[in-house]
Amino acid sequence: MTTYQFVTTAWTWNSILLTLGAVAFVGYFLAFGQRGRPLYFAAAIVLFLLAFISPFSVLANGYLFSAHMLQHILLVLIVPALLLLSLPRSFSLRPPLTYLTHPLIGWIAGVSAMWLWHAPTLCNAAATSRTVSAIQTTSLLIMGSVFWWQVLAPREAQRLSPPAGIVYLFTACAACSVLGIILTFAPVSICPVYQHPVDQLGILSTIRGSWGLTSDRDQQIGGLLMWVPMCAIYVTAILAQLARWHSSPQPEQSNA
Amino acid sequence: MNGTTTIAEFREAVLDPAKRRHYQLAWLSTVDHKRIAVLYMLTALVFFIIGGVEALFIRLQLAVPNNHFLQPDTFNQLFTMHGTTMIFLVVMPVVFGLANYVLPLQIGARDMAFPRLNAFGFWCVPFGGILLHFSVLAGGAPAVGWFAYAPLSETPYSSSPGVDYWAVAIFVLGIGSLSFAINTIATVISLRGPGMTMRRLPLFTWINFVNAFIIIFALPVLNAGLAMILIDRLLQGHFFLPFRGGSPVLWQHIFWAFGHPEVYILALPAFAIVSEIIPVFSRKPIFGYEFVAASSVAIAVLSLGVWGHHMFTVGMGRPLDVFFAISSMLIAIPTGVKVLNWTATMLGGRIRFDVPMLCCIAFLIQFLVAGLTGISHASVALDWQTKNSYFLVAHFHFVAVGAIVFAVIGAIQYWFPKMTGRMMSESLGRWTFWLMVIGFNMTFVIQHFLGLLGMPRRVFTYPDLPHWGWMNMLSTAGVFFMSASALILVWNLATSFFRGKGAGDNPWDAWTLEWATTSPPPHENFHALPPIRSRRPLWDLANPDRPDPIVGENSAAVTLPNHNKIGILSFILSETGFFGTLILAYLYFYGRPEAGPGPKELDVPRTLVFSVCLFASSFTFWRSEVALTKQRRGSMLGWLALTILLGGVFLVGQGTEYWKLFQTGVDLSTNMFSTSFFTLTGFHGLHVLLGLIALLIFLWLAWEGDFASDRRESAFKSVGYYWHFVDVVWVFVLLTVYILPLVQ
Repeated sequence: MTTYQFVTTAWTWNSILLTLGAVAFVGYFLAFGQRGRPLYFAAAIVLFLLAFISPFSVLANGYLFSAHMLQHILLVLIVPALLLLSLPRSFSLRPPLTYLTHPLIGWIAGVSAMWLWHAPTLCNAAATSRTVSAIQTTSLLIMGSVFWWQVLAPREAQRLSPPAGIVYLFTACAACSVLGIILTFAPVSICPVYQHPVDQLGILSTIRGSWGLTSDRDQQIGGLLMWVPMCAIYVTAILAQLARWHSSPQPEQSNA
Repeated sequence: MNGTTTIAEFREAVLDPAKRRHYQLAWLSTVDHKRIAVLYMLTALVFFIIGGVEALFIRLQLAVPNNHFLQPDTFNQLFTMHGTTMIFLVVMPVVFGLANYVLPLQIGARDMAFPRLNAFGFWCVPFGGILLHFSVLAGGAPAVGWFAYAPLSETPYSSSPGVDYWAVAIFVLGIGSLSFAINTIATVISLRGPGMTMRRLPLFTWINFVNAFIIIFALPVLNAGLAMILIDRLLQGHFFLPFRGGSPVLWQHIFWAFGHPEVYILALPAFAIVSEIIPVFSRKPIFGYEFVAASSVAIAVLSLGVWGHHMFTVGMGRPLDVFFAISSMLIAIPTGVKVLNWTATMLGGRIRFDVPMLCCIAFLIQFLVAGLTGISHASVALDWQTKNSYFLVAHFHFVAVGAIVFAVIGAIQYWFPKMTGRMMSESLGRWTFWLMVIGFNMTFVIQHFLGLLGMPRRVFTYPDLPHWGWMNMLSTAGVFFMSASALILVWNLATSFFRGKGAGDNPWDAWTLEWATTSPPPHENFHALPPIRSRRPLWDLANPDRPDPIVGENSAAVTLPNHNKIGILSFILSETGFFGTLILAYLYFYGRPEAGPGPKELDVPRTLVFSVCLFASSFTFWRSEVALTKQRRGSMLGWLALTILLGGVFLVGQGTEYWKLFQTGVDLSTNMFSTSFFTLTGFHGLHVLLGLIALLIFLWLAWEGDFASDRRESAFKSVGYYWHFVDVVWVFVLLTVYILPLVQ
């Protein structure tokens, strides 16, 4: 299969996911109506669907560790952030869930979303079993949302103060970078499934040949994705915290 | 002092500031941040002269083709010493000295948070400098470059002890830098005067504060690397020697993971200086304070993850090259933002072209050139062509001299009146400035072209190829202008100190707090602080009818965090970097097939039992802390003694593990596994031991009944943080060394 054939044909029109997406969209409007910010929600749904129906998901599903990593980042960092941004300002969590709004829980959720699912056994299982993959996806979305709540919660009072937010984001960035560094330089395969993919589509020769993605390089790119672009997301968030800090309300001149 | 003076009288005289002044010891025993700052800068000046003379010899050797003025090995020693001296013994001490002087004054503090730690940090500089230079007497200076690439820096290729002295000296200097950074963080967080909120910090203070975090994260990485190379050299370790299974590329990763942030450790203080001087001499507030402040944070965070661009020619593979190229180019954005802010500050201002401002203008132009050539090195293909040529030498000298040295000269001229009460001579200052501009550009502009013509760097001589001769001669000629400039600077400092005209409190009409006190400031810095509501308190004072807009909320009632706590947390942060590097190094080699002992030799169950003891000691310490808070002395002593006992049991457990390995003939030099195992667990054991010593001191103090006041309680808690940290590190070491092999 050539690259062109692959990109044009390898779409998986998963009806369950498409229905889920539509239901979520309707549910969003029923719940929040005009109060929400539907554009963010739409972007979240579209990105989520793209991660699973585009040819990309085929690659992530057993062919390329790096494609899996991109999907992982999308599900932990991008989609949950967009979901939180789409919430109306009036939104609050109800009592049992308020436990999730402790900063330490948020931090652990964000970091373990990266570390836990890259333990070789779990990583392998998620790449081969559909059930495990579904569990993984759900858990990533939840953990990502819990992580971002500290920074992107709908109301100012629910968020960390900007300096604390910077510490929160920086330490999370460092913890994930360490994993990225380990993946990049590890002499052994972290997720052995991707070393010898079961080539159901006959695409492997294209990947290894014309794309030049050997399994070593593939794992390196995966590690680098977790290390560099992910840090760029955190740095952007840190800068947003600084902007928030410096734009917090000025008292009236007469207060002096 | 007559013969009848008793020790008690002597002690009293030394401890009493008024009497101590009569003793020559006053400057040696000082813990006053202003005196320490001056000592930092004078030490830097001495080494600047040494490093400058080394540079002079290098350029004399390179003045003409096929020159044999210096032996190749002498040349290598000179350029190693020149680089090491200029970075660690000149620029770092001088920027630390400036921050040490100005920062507490700018935030209205009496001193740094830890005055004695401050003195310790300073004395590391002369001590490290002497260690480094002692190598000359002990068999030859290091000749491996300031980067000490392995395996050249390993014993088989550099058998004289030069590299050992180099590594130990840099280790000592690194510890000094870390203590300065810890002190800076604690000072800025805990010692700000009333009304001086974090958002009102002058940019000089803010940028130095951010810089302290880069130091905290970068220096421990180097220290871990130096420990590893010393283990290789002195204990026959395997880390960086390919024929023993080690990896020279790992040394480069470690060195540049420190080395690139180091560039910013040197450059951010220069940014800080420029951000302070340009507004004052443009008679305008800085354009976009928030952008300058935030871009410093962006630079700091990004700088930690772009070191790979120093290694494009190593052959890391295309994925790494591409990612590092992109991340390196990203740094150009916040840096560019800063240049824009400085330029926009000057736009429309009533600029006064005094020497500090002239230096800043030269800084702007030369830093722009340095930045542009810097971006060219972020491009992998271009980097391959120019990396090992004089183009790169020109690039980093444009950063180090064109930007940093110029900013420092400006800063000295700017703050000298505050430090001495006398102005520096403006006309001599102009001579210094113009000679430096001419000499610097003559020396280094041409080196860009030399590099593009293909002249390699790090060579002691070169063949007589077309144009190389006159270009090198021109470059060497420039050095004499720079030397003249430096001599005039020294002359200016000396004569102005004795005969300069009086400065008054605020000779430049500046707006930050250091100009609100006398010149030089009294021992306690301020008698009273003006009200602080904005970033320019002295402007508000002078212009009550049109003050600056108030920044943020007034937080006079807020109590600042305890400085002991901030200090120990900063220290723990730096230790995280140290152990993080060691653990990553362990994992770097983990799983590579090799003969000899491996993780399977280790006794996991027994280690788990001893680990439980260590973890339990965290619990017992916490109980002891609770008992202290409740003033129950007996219970506190009991729990503390139990903590020490448990820590001791853990060390004995580790000892038996080592003993068993030694019995089977396994020691540090056996193979890669044993080297990395003993290094990682050994350093952890050392930290446990140090923690135990600290706890024993506290036990002794508590036994003597020394725990009545609040101050002691925060000290006790600080040691507690350290002890818990040592336990947490063991969690990770345990997982990496003992548990990881089980789950695979």
